Amino acid sequence: MVAIAREYTIDELMVVTLARQFRSEDIVLNGTVSFIPVAAILLARATHAPGLTWVAGAVGVDAQPEPLIGNTLDPTMWKRCVMYLPQEHMWSYVHRGVLETFCIRGAQIDQYGNINNTVIGDYARPKVRLPGSAGMGDMGSLDKRIFIWTTTHTPRTFVERVDFRSCAGYLDGGDSRERLGLKNGPQLVITNLCVMDFEPQSKRMRLKSVHPGVTVEEVQAQTGFPLIIPKEIPRTEPPTVEEICLLREVIDPHGMRRREFRSASGRE
Amino acid sequence: MTAKKANKIMSLAEAASLVRDGDIVALQGMGTQMSPLAFVRELIRVGKRDLTVVMIVGGIGLDWLIAAGCVRRVIAIIVNLDEFGMAHAFRRAVETGEVVMEEYSEHQLLSRLLAGAYGLPFLVTRSGLGTDLLAIHHETLRVIACPFTGREVIACRALEPDVAILHAHRADAYGNVQFFPKPIWLDVDVFPRAARRVIVTVEEIVENEEIRRTPIHTGIPYFQVDAVVEVPYGAHPCSLYPFYSFDRRLFQEYASASRTVEGTRAFLEKYVYGPATHEEYLQRVGGAEALLRLRQWA
Repeated sequence: MVAIAREYTIDELMVVTLARQFRSEDIVLNGTVSFIPVAAILLARATHAPGLTWVAGAVGVDAQPEPLIGNTLDPTMWKRCVMYLPQEHMWSYVHRGVLETFCIRGAQIDQYGNINNTVIGDYARPKVRLPGSAGMGDMGSLDKRIFIWTTTHTPRTFVERVDFRSCAGYLDGGDSRERLGLKNGPQLVITNLCVMDFEPQSKRMRLKSVHPGVTVEEVQAQTGFPLIIPKEIPRTEPPTVEEICLLREVIDPHGMRRREFRSASGRE
Repeated sequence: MTAKKANKIMSLAEAASLVRDGDIVALQGMGTQMSPLAFVRELIRVGKRDLTVVMIVGGIGLDWLIAAGCVRRVIAIIVNLDEFGMAHAFRRAVETGEVVMEEYSEHQLLSRLLAGAYGLPFLVTRSGLGTDLLAIHHETLRVIACPFTGREVIACRALEPDVAILHAHRADAYGNVQFFPKPIWLDVDVFPRAARRVIVTVEEIVENEEIRRTPIHTGIPYFQVDAVVEVPYGAHPCSLYPFYSFDRRLFQEYASASRTVEGTRAFLEKYVYGPATHEEYLQRVGGAEALLRLRQWA
């Protein structure tokens, strides 16, 4: 009998939901400012996926750092790793599909899971210049299973059409991604309000579960395009007592994961 | 490129004169790590102009260069201050059109630099298929068919920077450059091989005999290097592990100051134009006591 946690917060629910997506055979690397994915990777490894390989900051193979202290690309995260992975080797593993799982967030996300982290407005004279595509410009086109997370579920983040496609999701929907020869793609979208996946035929975003206290109407109102909404929408599966204890006491006692809620723009 | 086994030790000012206005400058740096920032401050003080700066991950040094009016063009995959948020001078300059951002995915930019390093016209990748990155780079990225399978790939045109600037742990006078551990990040690995000239600042200059005792740490051989400058804490406020961590306080100060043009200017006055020498800069950021704290990061 697994004990369900009575009290938990949205950041904890997001970490736990993401952690449950990882499998024991996965090799997962993380990018910059990725406290929620890193906490989720460590939680998965400590619970249902002990065989999971984490490449810390895309460098430290199977690292065993102390609690998260900040900066998810910093060498402090590589502690007790078995190898510093030269980045050119990392890219060969990414291209060949050895590394198959990646987590991405961005300033804009559209109904087919395409992501923009480049500009708002025109590329040459943008209204807002965002940081840039970085690894998402690669991972979307390299057959990855992509997990999208965002702490700002608003119509500004979830838009009908992204201003710039920094990361290839399901492109124009249907079989358009497949026709370009790209495998896999976005699997799940985990936000501060709900969990969504993609309807297999149209590849449109579909509501899967809502977090406690959130209504289906509220999710739709905060999304800038019509979601596919099945008849029965369950409550997002709550964390267990074990997951919450590990997260709060061992993996992230300083609450680094909450830093991702600091900026409302999602642009940092 | 200086193939000679000669003494290449220079001052910051002498080495900065090897960078010309309008150059394509490949600048090392990875978020809060390993960036030749003492050299960047020197470039700003001598007032370089119209630079194209290549960084895989653009950071605080690039933002300073932009704020000081040294930059015309940026080639990078992302520009930010890592966990400290947006690079505001960069954002403002691109929004006003003052600076052009040439954005690539990481493997596209790596392919361009590796093609440069091999003297090939281009290398191919699949990175970025289906993205809008292809639409903005007709001069440097083209979708072509594989001659063997017909499968679509992206040709990434060679990029050869005029000068690469790096900060490392130590070197000898000839420019045998050592890292602890050996190069991991792409810029350290590929910039020196792709660039026409190479300037390296180091924490410490050691005897050639010391290099010969520890060749396992050498990442760049002397025949690639044009200038060696000894600058202790030359990456500050970035880190140079395992020697010292990044300076969280100064990053935070810049992240908030740079929200406005005036704040950015005041920051540059205080930390870049103000101190006449690197030693004065180190005093201004807290001196020996503050630096000792950064050494105790573990």
